[in-house]
Amino acid sequence: MRIKLLVILSLIIIPVFFISSCEKTDGPEELQAGKLLFYFDHVMNDEVIRLDTMMYSNAAGNPYLVNEIQYFISDVTLYKNDGSHVTIDDWKAIWYVDTDLPDTQYWQMKDPIPVGTYDSITFRFGISEEKNKSLMFVNPPESNMFWPEYLGGGYHYMKLNGKWKDTADEIRPFNFHMGIGQIYDANDSITGFVHNDFVVHLENSGCTIQKDKTAAFVLTMEVNEWFENPHVFDFNYWGGDIMQNQDAMGTAKENGHNVFSIHRMLEE
Amino acid sequence: MKRIGYILTVIGAVFLFFAGCKKEDKPEPYQSTPYVIDIPFGFPTELNIPDDNPMTVEGVALGRYLFYDGRLSGRTDPDSLMSCSTCHRQERSFEAGVDHPDFPGGFPYGITGKPTHHVMLPMINLVWNQNGYGWNGFLYPENPNPNLRNIEDFVRLAVVAEDEISGDTARVVTLFQSLQGYPELFYKAFGSDKVTFKNIERAIAQFVRTLISANSRFDRYMRGEVQLSPSELHGYVLFTTEEGADCFHCHGGYGNPLFTTHLFYNNGKDTVFTDPSDRFAITGDQMDKGAYKATTLRNIEVQGPYMHDGRFATLEEVIEFYSHGLKQSPYVNPLMHHINDGGVQLTPQEKEDLLNFIRTLRDDEFMTNPEFSRPDKLPDEP
Repeated sequence: MRIKLLVILSLIIIPVFFISSCEKTDGPEELQAGKLLFYFDHVMNDEVIRLDTMMYSNAAGNPYLVNEIQYFISDVTLYKNDGSHVTIDDWKAIWYVDTDLPDTQYWQMKDPIPVGTYDSITFRFGISEEKNKSLMFVNPPESNMFWPEYLGGGYHYMKLNGKWKDTADEIRPFNFHMGIGQIYDANDSITGFVHNDFVVHLENSGCTIQKDKTAAFVLTMEVNEWFENPHVFDFNYWGGDIMQNQDAMGTAKENGHNVFSIHRMLEE
Repeated sequence: MKRIGYILTVIGAVFLFFAGCKKEDKPEPYQSTPYVIDIPFGFPTELNIPDDNPMTVEGVALGRYLFYDGRLSGRTDPDSLMSCSTCHRQERSFEAGVDHPDFPGGFPYGITGKPTHHVMLPMINLVWNQNGYGWNGFLYPENPNPNLRNIEDFVRLAVVAEDEISGDTARVVTLFQSLQGYPELFYKAFGSDKVTFKNIERAIAQFVRTLISANSRFDRYMRGEVQLSPSELHGYVLFTTEEGADCFHCHGGYGNPLFTTHLFYNNGKDTVFTDPSDRFAITGDQMDKGAYKATTLRNIEVQGPYMHDGRFATLEEVIEFYSHGLKQSPYVNPLMHHINDGGVQLTPQEKEDLLNFIRTLRDDEFMTNPEFSRPDKLPDEP
């Protein structure tokens, strides 16, 4: 009788423990997190750019106009002062920006960012070698950014198209396109590739992420900086197309570190 | 009392009989079969199919009959028959082609004899066009005018246009309602045997969305099934390099196998722009003067004449134009970065190689596919 009672009690007690332990492990700790939002802005000398108007001059003195700017940014990362960081690392988190497409000029990142104070934000201009694979984007507009297989494959990091006035006052188109560069031998055969993507460290980008709130920033491209700092980029010297000119793309890459700035907007 | 019981029983039985009949007589709605588009290798996954016209096997089948039916004008006189296929010939990748038996040089005109304003655009792979239909993109999904948004609207415009079928939609509906076999096909496609012009538009648009060309030699090369010749490969390099012919920025390539961006460019054909139907007419943007849609280059070999006005009859002429014939104007797209040199300056050998590559985009299987050809007989034909 006593043994029977013990068996019955065991049958009742063990499932209760089992169920209560399941409840404990199944219930994840609530993530204290907020979100990040970027608006994209494109300026010339601190003023919103006017497209298709021959009214600008770069550091080389080339009068020029901008027709359109299309580019990718990726790997947005927030750093804490202890060296830890959070990267928006969803593979879909490669963002395409297009001055002709308003929907691309606003990026609500989906990844939750743990609450806390962050010292700085960085992002990658273009797409890393690891991720920059052909046919990764099959739908337009991103697919229209493909970079030919022969030249390294993957995608343009940027197409900045416009026109400049040369020394003879003739108007010429330029395609300031950045992507994977090529190394050519004496016979003009390609012997290797150079990945020209780079990480941009944004000054004054410290922020506090609060629970269930969105930290909104404006990421600004100062277009003239592509042609100015530290190298003066002269269209009359480099010409109108640079996809097959690694020296020109390398120069653009070094100038690219100073092109972007960021400022915080009101929290949403 | 016994009699009353008998009457009640009869009434009850009759009621039950009719109730049962009513239930059984209610027609089951026809369950049309969803038509699934297989996405070819490398093609976009996003399709331009309007929510109010989902594709079905039955809708496509009906659309195919209508596409080839010359009575789409609402007339039956043998002299005034005109169908979509009168101009859109399968063997010419659904364009007229320069060798069209009725339209010399590939310049179509309507039943009234009035020539079309522009020559034809390729009618292939349109289910992936997200940037507007027509040379200037006047039909686009966000158009404030709900009657100018998609292929369905193109059907209606083609039927009523003087320079095309010059028909009357009411007469078309009446006629097709009376043609044996068609009402049943409408029932299977749209759940009603009542013919409406809206459903005519929908059916033809569904058929047009099935016209997919994706099995050229270049496609097989992309899939690793065949190798291209040295000349074709060199042409491909020219096609996809800025210092070569630089076709790819507007016409795609491996990363954009539609071989078009479906965007609009002034490609340096002219210096004066007076066409009231260029892209500028749609956007009002000065930079769009003289701009037209970049056509797909798939099957382009058989799709002449070329450019919006058909000014070139052969691909050789087109390549010569891009090589040495460009004209400067304030509206030339910046992607035409060889404009100041008059073109990309190809050598004769390079022109030949480029042409050989472009010919690899020809898809003969598509142009002979029986699923796209005229049905053996129309629904009312014995």
